[in-house]
Amino acid sequence: MSPDAKDIRVLFLGPKNLRNGTADDFPHQSAAATEMGAEFVVYDGDSDGELIEALKDADVAMAAGHGVSPDLFVHMGNNGRCKGLVSFGHGYDSMDLGSAVENGVVLANTASFGTEEVSNQTMMHFLVCSRKFVLHDKLVKNGTWTREHLAPMGHIAGQTFGVIGLGNIGRTVARKAQAFGMKVIGYDPFVSSWDAKEYGVEMVGTPQEIAKRSDYVSPHTYLTPNTHHMVGAEFFNLMKPTAYLINCSRGPVVDEKALIEALQQGKIAGAGLDVFEQEPVDPNNELLKMDNVSVTNHYASYSEVAWSRANTQLGEEAMRVALGYWPMSLINPDVRSTVEPRKWAVSWEVMLADQGK
Amino acid sequence: MAKQRVVVLGPTTDDPLHHERAEMADLDVEFVQEAPQSEGEAIEAVRGADAIMMRGGWGTEQVIRAADAAKVLAVYSHGFNHIDVDAATDMGIIVTNGAGMCAEEVSNQAVTMALSLNRQIVQTTNQLRDTGDWSNAPFLPIEPIDEQTLGIVGFGNIGRQVARKLGQGWRMDTLVFDPYVAPWIISEYNVEQVFEINELFKRSDYIVVVVPLNAETFHMIGKEQFDVMKKSAYYINVCRGSVNDEPALIEALQQGKMRGAGLDVFEQEPVDPGNPLLQMENVITAMHLAGSSTRSAWLARQRASQQVAAVLRGEWPSAGQNPEVTSKLDEKKRMPGTAGHISGPGD
Repeated sequence: MSPDAKDIRVLFLGPKNLRNGTADDFPHQSAAATEMGAEFVVYDGDSDGELIEALKDADVAMAAGHGVSPDLFVHMGNNGRCKGLVSFGHGYDSMDLGSAVENGVVLANTASFGTEEVSNQTMMHFLVCSRKFVLHDKLVKNGTWTREHLAPMGHIAGQTFGVIGLGNIGRTVARKAQAFGMKVIGYDPFVSSWDAKEYGVEMVGTPQEIAKRSDYVSPHTYLTPNTHHMVGAEFFNLMKPTAYLINCSRGPVVDEKALIEALQQGKIAGAGLDVFEQEPVDPNNELLKMDNVSVTNHYASYSEVAWSRANTQLGEEAMRVALGYWPMSLINPDVRSTVEPRKWAVSWEVMLADQGK
Repeated sequence: MAKQRVVVLGPTTDDPLHHERAEMADLDVEFVQEAPQSEGEAIEAVRGADAIMMRGGWGTEQVIRAADAAKVLAVYSHGFNHIDVDAATDMGIIVTNGAGMCAEEVSNQAVTMALSLNRQIVQTTNQLRDTGDWSNAPFLPIEPIDEQTLGIVGFGNIGRQVARKLGQGWRMDTLVFDPYVAPWIISEYNVEQVFEINELFKRSDYIVVVVPLNAETFHMIGKEQFDVMKKSAYYINVCRGSVNDEPALIEALQQGKMRGAGLDVFEQEPVDPGNPLLQMENVITAMHLAGSSTRSAWLARQRASQQVAAVLRGEWPSAGQNPEVTSKLDEKKRMPGTAGHISGPGD
C-alpha cells in the first residue's frame, strides 16, 4: 500500500538559529510538502535523544545545516517510521553510508543545484588566471601602465583543459571549456566510456597524465579519503611551468603546502582558488599575497536561484522518499538491496499527477 | 577454486569468442558454447553456470530459474525486453545490457530520418529515378528545420545524443518527455521538459521515440497521440516496433493525420511484405539496422564481456539493469571506468 500524502509528516532539521517556525517561515523547503498536502514540521530540539523521539513521528527528515550522527540510522529505515534523510548540498562526507545501508535508510542530496554557478566560477578563475588579471588589475589601479608582465600568456583556443572528476560539474566545465575552443581531457575512474564520448572528453588512465598534458587543471571531485590531497607535490612536479591549477571543489583535495611551494618555486604559473584547507582562510596564508593567484571565499555554488532551487529540491526529494519512490539523487545505491521495492523516481510534476494533485 | 563456467548461448557453438576471451584473460574461466533449439535445452545449458551470456533468446522465466549458480546474465543487445528480469532479480542474478553500445548509431539513424523527411530525399530520388520528372511541387513545402520543434520521447543515452545533434547542432527547439529523467540533465542539454506525452505530440514537428520496450512502454503511443499531432509533423521510431500501436499508426497515416514517418522497427520482424507501411510514399523505412556499424558489432561483444568479467571479479557492473537485486557478490565494489580499457578503434 502506498502511503497517502495527507498522512505524511516531514521533519525539517535546520541550523541552531532556525529551530522554530512553521512551513511559512521556510517557503522553499516546505513547498513540496504543502503542494502535496503533507505536514511540514520544524525540529526544535537540541540533543540526539530529542531527535530520536522526533524521528519516531516523521516519515522522512531533511537536513540543512544540521549534522546527523550515524547512531541515528538505527532508529530509522527498516527500524522505524522515518524512511530516509535528504541533505542540503553536495558533500556527504559526514554521513556513514554503511550504517544507512545496513538499516535500510534511503539517503539523498540536492545534486547539481549549483552546477551552473560552480562551473561559471571555475571558468571565471580560469580566465582571470589565463589573462593574468589579478596582477594587471593591481598595476593599473596603482597607476602603472605597463605591458612588461604579459608574456607568456596562453592563447586559450587549442590549449588543453584537464578535468578531474566528470560529474555534473566536471562535464559542464568541459562543455564550457570546449566552447572556448579548448581540448578537454579527463580523469575519472568511474565514468563510462559512452558518457565520456557523449561529452567529447578524452579520458586518460591516471591523474599524472592530466598533470603532464594540461594547461589548466581543475578538480571537481567529492572530498573522500581517496581524493584527499590527490593534487600534491608529485602532481605539481609533473605540471607544465606555464599551467594553472583551478580549485572550486574542496580545499583538502589539494595539498595546500605543496601548492604554495610549487608557486614559490615557479613549478606552475598560478592558481585560481575558491576553497582552502582551512576556512575561513588565515589572513596570513601565503596564497593571499601572490599576484598570480586569484581567490574567492567558497561561494562558487551561490546564486539566489541555485539556493532556492536546492531548498525546493530538498523538499521534493523528501516527498519522494516519504511516498515510496526512489529519490532522483540516491547517494547510497546499495540500499536498494536492503529495503522493500520502491517506485522509480519521477519528475515532480508527474508525481503530483500520480498522487491526484 | 574451480574454474568459473561462462555459458554463451548463441546461434552457433563454434564462435571464436575473441573479445570474450580477451576481456576475461586474467580470470580462471572456461567457456561453454550452446545453441539451444528448445527451452528444455536452454534450461540444461544454464544449470550450474557462473555466468550466462546471451547472443539471442531464451531469457524466459523457466530458463533463468534453472540458472541456480549464475551471478550475472549479460545480453549483447541494448534491449533486454526478451529477458525475465524479475525472475533474475529473484534468483540473485545481475542482468547487464550493452548500454551505450550503439547510441551513436541509433541517434544517427534518427537524425538521418529527420533530415531525409525534411528534405524528402527518398521521395525525390524515387521520382527522378523512376520517372525523370523534374517537378518539385510534390515535395513542397520544405520547412526550415532550424525554426521547427523536435520532440524526443525517452531521454537516455540515445535521446541525449539526438538532442545534442539536432537540438544543438541544427538549433531546433527541443521538447523532451521522460518522467524518469533528473531535472539537472534537462538543464544540461538546454531542452524543455513536458510532463504529458500528448503535449509533446501536439507541439512537435519531428517526434523521435527512443525508449526501451517494457510493460510500461508497450503501445504507449497510439491513436490518442497520433490524433493530436500536427498534420505537418513527422513521426520517427528507431527503438522497438511495439512501442507504438502499428494499426493505429497505419490508420493515422492513411487519414493524413501526419505528414509522414521514418521507421526502423516494426511490430512484426521481419516485416510482412504486405504491410501497408511499405507501400506509402511518405514513409521511409529500414530493416531494424539503426544500431549497426562496424564498431557496434565488436563493441557489443566487448561490452558484454567487460560486464561479465567485472562480476566474476566481484565488482558491481556499470550496466546493471536490476539494481535492486540482492546479488551473490560478497561486496559491491564499483566497476572501474573504461578509460584506457577499450581495446578497439574509435570508442
